[in-house]
Amino acid sequence: MPRRIVIIGAHAAGVDAASAARKTDRTAEITLITKQRQAGYSPCGIPFVLGRHIPSFDKLIVFPQSYFQMMKLNLMLETTATNIDTKAKTVEIQDKTGTQKTLEYDSLILTTGSYPFVPPIKGREKQGVYVLKTIEDGKKIDQAIENSKSAVVVGAGLIGLETAVAFVERGLKTTVVELLPQVLPAMLDADMAKIVQNMLEEKGMRIITGHAVDEILGEEKVTGVSVAGEQIPCDMVVVATGVRANTELAKNAGITIGETRGIKTNMRMETSVKDVYAAGDCAESVHLVTGRPTLSQLGTTAVRQAKVAGTNAAGGYAIFPGVLGSAVTKFFDTEIGVTGLTEFFAKRVGLETVTGTITSKTRPEYYPGGLPIKIKLVVEKETERIVGVQMIGGEQVTQRVNALSFAIQKQMTVRDLAKADTAYAPPLNETWEPMVLAAEIALRKLR
Amino acid sequence: MVKVDGYEVPEGLYYSKDFEWVKIEGDKVRVGITDYAQKQLREIVYAELPSPGTTIKQNEPYGTVESVKAVSDLVAPVSGTIEEVNTEVQSKPEILNEDPYEKGWLLIIKPSNLQAELANLMDFNKAVEWHKSLIK
Repeated sequence: MPRRIVIIGAHAAGVDAASAARKTDRTAEITLITKQRQAGYSPCGIPFVLGRHIPSFDKLIVFPQSYFQMMKLNLMLETTATNIDTKAKTVEIQDKTGTQKTLEYDSLILTTGSYPFVPPIKGREKQGVYVLKTIEDGKKIDQAIENSKSAVVVGAGLIGLETAVAFVERGLKTTVVELLPQVLPAMLDADMAKIVQNMLEEKGMRIITGHAVDEILGEEKVTGVSVAGEQIPCDMVVVATGVRANTELAKNAGITIGETRGIKTNMRMETSVKDVYAAGDCAESVHLVTGRPTLSQLGTTAVRQAKVAGTNAAGGYAIFPGVLGSAVTKFFDTEIGVTGLTEFFAKRVGLETVTGTITSKTRPEYYPGGLPIKIKLVVEKETERIVGVQMIGGEQVTQRVNALSFAIQKQMTVRDLAKADTAYAPPLNETWEPMVLAAEIALRKLR
Repeated sequence: MVKVDGYEVPEGLYYSKDFEWVKIEGDKVRVGITDYAQKQLREIVYAELPSPGTTIKQNEPYGTVESVKAVSDLVAPVSGTIEEVNTEVQSKPEILNEDPYEKGWLLIIKPSNLQAELANLMDFNKAVEWHKSLIK
């Protein structure tokens, strides 16, 4: 009898797990279940549709129906998994008509994702208050933009700022309110965050940090928000205060939830219950610098975990070493990237660090078109290992972040980086690679 | 040739709903995978093909094509006996991505029931409509 693999969730993690499972076992019966009407799209692209960089939401569909057909994957849309029985190895499902069914599995993969967390702000139920998670959310916000002149975004994380940038690009008077004292608090140190904030403010965005939204104002419909005693009028509000792992189903099935409130997994992405795997926003990872569990909740983590989960669920062997939280984004013409620990988070886990910060250019002074690039390197004092980097630049941020992610994964010291062999040609780079210069500055502090 | 949302659909071929094309060449047919198929599969790394002399049957799998992230059965668009296999595809599978309709052909088949089986395939116009429905 063919192996039966059931996957709950059908986006980045679900489909990649299914693909890996299919590559491992050509005859398995692979079933994906999703509550949503559309499977296999890229939610990360939604802010860029709102900003009109991508012409339509349909373009975000990475895996059309034909892909599932080609890979012989049984996709069940608008279907909810209501219960898992890990002893009987069954999943109870219910389709949109209310019809219930029990699926038997040999391996189960939980790619249940995450949901947007909305803090209990007074007035959050009003018309014109949105979250951004699904294509449906994106379409609603897109419609609302057409009928709005101003917007408030609550939360200055990646999604919040990407959305706020899109609002400015669409001509809305946009205010961002962040409870913590800086933008991108999970990604950047305060000094680097200030540069991003200044740039966004120059583009016309208003940013209020260190304050919560006390109330969303209006009768039925939003007319403004109240922040630190000030009333800010607006036609719409987007709440982007982070996502939480969807773990209800796992918890009810007796599967262990970790300290990060994600599903606890081992190196093979197997949960506390045999033959049940987890991947994506709902699953914990190990941080490669701290060795501690972390909830990465990034697209790259999702697909990397899913490949491992899918391979193992189909009888193969694969391990997931962990994450550094490598992430990049682009606000207007500025690229921002991070990998590993910030100085702030390094300190919080007890590491003593030195930093090397440099502002350089992406091409020599004499070559037209060079753009500034700022790099902050975080180095652990005793081992002299690079533990993190933050970068803000006009171009070529992503591959530098990747290079330093590799360096951290290979436990490279700042001394090695200062001697690194790099490539140069006037139209492409400076003779002295900015990452190497940042290493030299950090090194000086270690002498 | 027509492009449907970037997917090439050449004239003069027949198409199966398993993403293969058929080109009639005298009393033989040449088959391969469509541009749509190679774009869905992306970076193709391996094609598992049968040997010449093998008989294949319409709508039944005869091999697989594997990419970095995906794998798909190759399903026979017509029945017949394989006369020739494109060995270049086996040594350089990337030509399936680069040129699926010319250099990336897979098999030359001596068909056994072509006239009747063509009715199960799409002609150019139908294939264009079908591609339009795929991208919806």
